[in-house]
Amino acid sequence: MPAPLPFRPRRFARLTDQVMRVGLWGLAAAFIAVLLVFVGVILKQGWPVLHLGFLTRMPETLDAGGGIKPEIFNSLYLVALSLAIALPIGLGAGIYMAEYAGQGRALRFLRLCIETLAATPSIVLALFGMIVFVQMMGWSFSIRSGAVTLALLNIPVITRVTEVSLLGVPRELMEASYGLGATKLQTILKVALPYAATGILTGLVLTAGRAFGESAILVFTAGTNTSQVFPDFRLTVPGETLSVHLWYVTSDGTLPDAREIAAGTAAVMIVVLLALNLLVRFLDRAIRRRTR
Amino acid sequence: MPHAPDTLLDLPSSTTQTVPEGPALEAASREPAFRHSRAQRLADRWAHLVFLACGLLVVALIGGILYFLAARGVGAFIPLAGNTDKVLTLREVFLSTNWDPNAGKFGILPFIAGSLTVTGLALLIAAPTGILASIFIAKIAPNWMKTLMRQVMDLLVGIPSVVYGIFGLMVVLPWVSGKWLSDSPAAGFAVSAAILAVMIVPTIVSLATDAFESLPLSLDEGSQALGSTRWQAIWHVLIPAARARLLTATVLGLGRAIGEAMAIQMVIGNNPQWIALMRQSTDQTPVLRLLFTPAATLTTELVQELPNTAAGSTWNNVLFAMGLLLYLMTMLIILATRRLSQRREA
Repeated sequence: MPAPLPFRPRRFARLTDQVMRVGLWGLAAAFIAVLLVFVGVILKQGWPVLHLGFLTRMPETLDAGGGIKPEIFNSLYLVALSLAIALPIGLGAGIYMAEYAGQGRALRFLRLCIETLAATPSIVLALFGMIVFVQMMGWSFSIRSGAVTLALLNIPVITRVTEVSLLGVPRELMEASYGLGATKLQTILKVALPYAATGILTGLVLTAGRAFGESAILVFTAGTNTSQVFPDFRLTVPGETLSVHLWYVTSDGTLPDAREIAAGTAAVMIVVLLALNLLVRFLDRAIRRRTR
Repeated sequence: MPHAPDTLLDLPSSTTQTVPEGPALEAASREPAFRHSRAQRLADRWAHLVFLACGLLVVALIGGILYFLAARGVGAFIPLAGNTDKVLTLREVFLSTNWDPNAGKFGILPFIAGSLTVTGLALLIAAPTGILASIFIAKIAPNWMKTLMRQVMDLLVGIPSVVYGIFGLMVVLPWVSGKWLSDSPAAGFAVSAAILAVMIVPTIVSLATDAFESLPLSLDEGSQALGSTRWQAIWHVLIPAARARLLTATVLGLGRAIGEAMAIQMVIGNNPQWIALMRQSTDQTPVLRLLFTPAATLTTELVQELPNTAAGSTWNNVLFAMGLLLYLMTMLIILATRRLSQRREA
C-alpha cells in the first residue's frame, strides 16, 4: 500500500487511474490469451495427424498420406550448417567490436552495418542468395545455397550476442589476466570467452530457432523439393525444410490432404520451438545463478 | 596504474623504493615487465586481423547486397548486357497502377501502396497495444507477471511466419468470413494486418519496456510526491520522457512489418489489380472494401511471382527492383532510428 497522500487526487484522476490499471491487466491477459489460443489451436489441429507414420514416411507429391521424414532431416541439417558457417564469422566480428574497435567511428559504423543486416527483410536476403549462390555460382537450388544464405540471417544475431556477452565480462578478470602477463589473444580466448560462453550459447539457441522457422530465404535458395534418398548429406541436392514444406503444400494445392499435412507440420514446428524455448530458459537461469 | 602508494602499507620511508620521475618514469612505463615470445606476439597480431576481417565481411555484405540487387533491378530501366527484353521508364514502373506483365505493363504502385497500407494498419494496432503492454510490464505488473509477460513475448516472437500464416489461413480467414462477411472470402488487409500486428508487437514491447525501465526513478518519485496518481505520472511524465525511444521502437516494428513476406502472402489474397477491383465494386462502404479486397504487397508479389520468371527478363528485373526498394527502405529505417537516438543523447 502506498503511503497516504497529503491530499487526495481529484475524483476523476483516481477513477482514471483505477480504470487504466484494470485495463492494462486486461490487455496483458489478452496477450496471454492470444498466445494460448494460438498454440492450442495449432496443436489441436495437428494432433490427429501426428503419429509415427507421419514423422517417418517420405512425402507424397500427388497422393494423400505423405510424411515429413526428409523435411525434418533437412531442417536440422540446414540449421546446423548455417550455424557452422555463421558462428566463426559472428564470433570474430563480435570479438572485434567488444575488444578491439574502441569507442570511435569504426565501432559506430560497424554497429550500423550489423543493425542494417539484422533488419534486412529475409526476402531481400533470399534475392541476394538467389543471384549470388543459386545463379552466379551455379549451385542451383541446393542445401549449400540454402545454408550459406541462411547464415547471413544468423551472422548479425550471433555478432550482437557475442559483443554483449563479452562486454559483460568483469573488467577485473581481464585485468588480472593481463597482470599475469597474458597477451590480449590469450586473455580473450582463455578468460573472456569462457566467461561469456553461456550467454553466447543462449544466443546460439535463439538463432537456431529463428533459422529453423525461416522460410522465405529457403524457398528461393534450397528449393521446394527434397532428395529421394534418406538421409542425404550431399550439399548439392535440394533440401526442402519443414517451414518451406508447410508453405508449399498449402500454396501449391496438388495434395488432397495438404491441410492435414500443413497442420501436422505446424504442430511439429511448435513443439520443437517450445523445446528450444525451455532450453533458453534453462541456460538463462544458469547465467543468473553464476552472476548472483 | 603504476604503484600502490606506499603510505598505505605504513612502511618506514627508508624501505620504500625510489619512484622514478620525469623522463625516467616515462621510460619505465614504456618498458614492459617482460616480453612475450615472438610466437605469442605474432599470434596476437594475426588474431587482431582475423577478427577485423570478420567485421569487414559484414560491411562487405551490406555493400554486396546493395550492389547485386541494384545490378539486377537497374536492368529494368537501362539496357544491360544480359537483358533479353525491352526497358521501361521510371514513370511506367513507380507511378503506374497497371500491373499486367504479359501485356508489358509493370506498374508497381499497387504493391507499394499495399505494403504501406498493411504496415500502417498493423502499426495502428501494434504500437498502442505494445506501448501500453510495456507500461504494464515496466511499471505496474508484479514480478511474477513481468516474467510471464516476457515469456509470452519471447514465444510470440519465436513463432515462425509460416505458422502464423497457416493459422491465419486455416482459422482466422474462415472465422472472419463466416462471422461477419456472410461467407464471402475474408482475404485482404484486415486479416493480414491483424496477424502482422501480433508478429511485430513483441519487438515494440521489448524495446518500449527497456525505454520505460531505463528512465530515472526520480521521475516517478517526483510526480508522486506532487500528489499525482500512478496513471497521471505515466501519462504526463513517463511517456513524454520516453517519447524518442518509443518512437524508435515503433519504427523498428515498422521495419519488421514491411519486410514480412510469407505470413501475409498466405492470407492477403495476392491480387495485383486490387486498386482497380476496389474502385469497381460498390457494394460496401469504402472502408470495408479496403479491408477485405484481396490485395498484394511488395513482399507477397516477390514470393508469388519470382519463381515463374526467367532471369534477365523485364519482369524478373522489375521484381528485383522491388527487392531493392525494400532494402533501401530498411536502410532508411535504420538511419531514422539512428537520428532518433542521437536526438535523445543531445
